[in-house]
This record gives sequence, C-alpha cells and structure tokens, in this order.
Amino acid sequence: MTLDIPVIETDRLILRGPRESDFEAFAAFAASDRARFVGGPYPRLRAWGGFLATYGHWALRSYGMWMLEDRASGTTAGRVGFIFNESWDEPELGWHVYDPFEGTGIAYEAATAARAYGARHFGLDGVISYIDPENARSRALADRLGAIHERDGTVAGHPCHVYRHPVQEVA
Amino acid sequence: MTGHRDIPVLETKRLQLRSPRAEDYPDFKATFASYRSRFMGGPLNGYEAWMLYAAEIGHWEIRGFGMWMVHLKDTGETVGMAGGWSPAKWPEREIAWIIWPDRAGKGYALEATHRVRRHFYEDKGWETAVSYLDPKNLDSIRLAERLGAKKDHDAPTVDGSDVVYRHPSPDALRGTQLSHGIDMEIAHYQDPLFKPKGWAID
Repeated sequence: MTLDIPVIETDRLILRGPRESDFEAFAAFAASDRARFVGGPYPRLRAWGGFLATYGHWALRSYGMWMLEDRASGTTAGRVGFIFNESWDEPELGWHVYDPFEGTGIAYEAATAARAYGARHFGLDGVISYIDPENARSRALADRLGAIHERDGTVAGHPCHVYRHPVQEVA
Repeated sequence: MTGHRDIPVLETKRLQLRSPRAEDYPDFKATFASYRSRFMGGPLNGYEAWMLYAAEIGHWEIRGFGMWMVHLKDTGETVGMAGGWSPAKWPEREIAWIIWPDRAGKGYALEATHRVRRHFYEDKGWETAVSYLDPKNLDSIRLAERLGAKKDHDAPTVDGSDVVYRHPSPDALRGTQLSHGIDMEIAHYQDPLFKPKGWAID
C-alpha cells in the first residue's frame, strides 16, 4: 500500500515485500515443528501478528525481511533479511526456509543477496545472526556464509549462539 | 524513513488521529507494559510490545485501514488508539479502541471511536461493524453501549471467550436521536456545562 520495499532478484528467487497471499505459507511454517528454533510453534493468530510485523519493521527501521518467491513456480519459499526488534543487541541477518524448499540452497542464495544489499544500501555491515544452538542446519549455513561463532547470548529470552558475518566488500 | 503516505488524518474538536509512527512507540510500550492492557493481550514485555506495534503498522499495509494513534490537539500528546482491526479469517471487521491508563475518564475513547466509525461508514463504505469485547472489560462494554452498539448473540465470536457488540448501522446514525445523544455526550466532555464537586455516589 504505502511502503517502498526494494526488490532483489537472484538466479532462482525474487526477494520482495510480503503480500497477503504469502500468509498461508508463513503460518504453516510458524505452526510446524521447524519453528521451534525461532520461538515457535505459534498459533495462527500469533503468526498473523508476526506476519503483519514484517511490514511494520520496514516502516519502523527502514529495512527488514523480504519474502522469498521461487521464480520458477511463484511459490512463497521463505523469509530472509534484517531484524532489529526491541531487545535485540543489534541488527541481525535472519533466514527461514519453508518446507518444500529446505535443502535446495535457496537460503544461502537469499542470505548472500540480502547481506550484500544491506551493506550497500542500509549501512548494515558485519551484522550478527542469532542461531539456536540445536539448529544444526542454520549453523552450517552461517559457517558457509563465512560467519563466525562470536559469543553466546539470548534473543527474546532464548539462549542462542551469536554469529558475526564478515564485512562485505562493497564496491 | 519509509512512511505511510496514504493514511488519512482525522480530527475532532479535541483530538487529532494520525498513523502510528516510530516516535509514538514509547507511549505505546508504556501502556502495553501496564496492567491496563490486560484486556488487549497484555501486559507485554519489550519484545512483545514491539512486535505488536509493528503489527499495528502492518495492518494498515495489508488492509488499507487500521488503528490510528490518538493525539491531543493542544499538546500533541498520545492518549490512546482507535480504529479498525481485521485479522485473517476473523468473522468480521472490528472497531477497536484503547486509552492510555492515565488518560481515562475524559471521553477521549468515545470522541475518537465515534470519529473513526464515521470514517469507516461515510468514507470507506462499511455497512456494519462489530467490536469483540472481553466480557470482564466493563469499561469497554459501557463504551460500546454509549456508542449505541448492542450485544449480538447470534454473531460468531473470535474464539468463544469474547462477546460481540454490533454497532448501529450508518442509517441509524444519520440525524437520529441516537447520534444526537452521542454528540451531546461528547460535547459535554469537550465543554462541561456542569462540574459537580466530589464524586457521583452511584
């Protein structure tokens, strides 16, 4: 309606602002066991609030998370981008991949693109990622992105690892 | 900063209703950290208050309407929120309000909610609206009744723990005795004709 959320294109993905048609995929992820690493599972009304907050974050911070749209099918594939909610130490880069797309490498593709965009356009460089210690897949992705386990911390009351991303080479 | 260009500013004699902005967040957080917010899902910690405020803004994006921040015209201070609310798969669109704890009792909720209802009816074409209230929230039930809303026993509730109050139709508010009564009550708050000493005993 009124927010200017930038669009980023990668080989397989379009990173864009949320649309109401993304909500069912968002809610399915939020209700699933896989959401246990991001404070869930969440009932549907909580998921709705979290979905709306994706927009509000852009309005409040001028940056936020993009929805991932699979270019080939148009399907909503996940959510990647920057999160700086109240009680966060600093802005973080986060990634959620929805069920059918797990293991396809799109999180790496999207996180790389988002990280570069943030360094170039939002002044967000060398950011952190909060990762649940039990979330082996997410930790593996952080490793692959060149992030290092800097310290342990908490996010929204949950103990987590704090990874630090390398500073980007912005031309 | 990215902002909301399309959210109308609504005015009444004492109030200006504006879109929720980053600078209004501290007021919002203070209210939702307090016991007063117990009928609105609170009290909330800082993270939860932040997520809810972001969701208030997101509601405008996805629905084209939402909750306004209610400011005093004189000072610009925030005294509460009023507007519309419509989560995915709720039975109907809701008219909602909340007044900050230290600002209650001055008729602000009545004045603001009456104004937003007129906007939804006259500018947005709504034919009806409900409010989903906690049956223990007597202040809100009383306000719904002052706005002419009546308990609708047949309308579906959100989750069975709420009661549904149906607002009068646009026609029922057009030059009727009901609308005059609401206007008079608001006018009385704006410019009290009679200021009793002490407290009413009922």
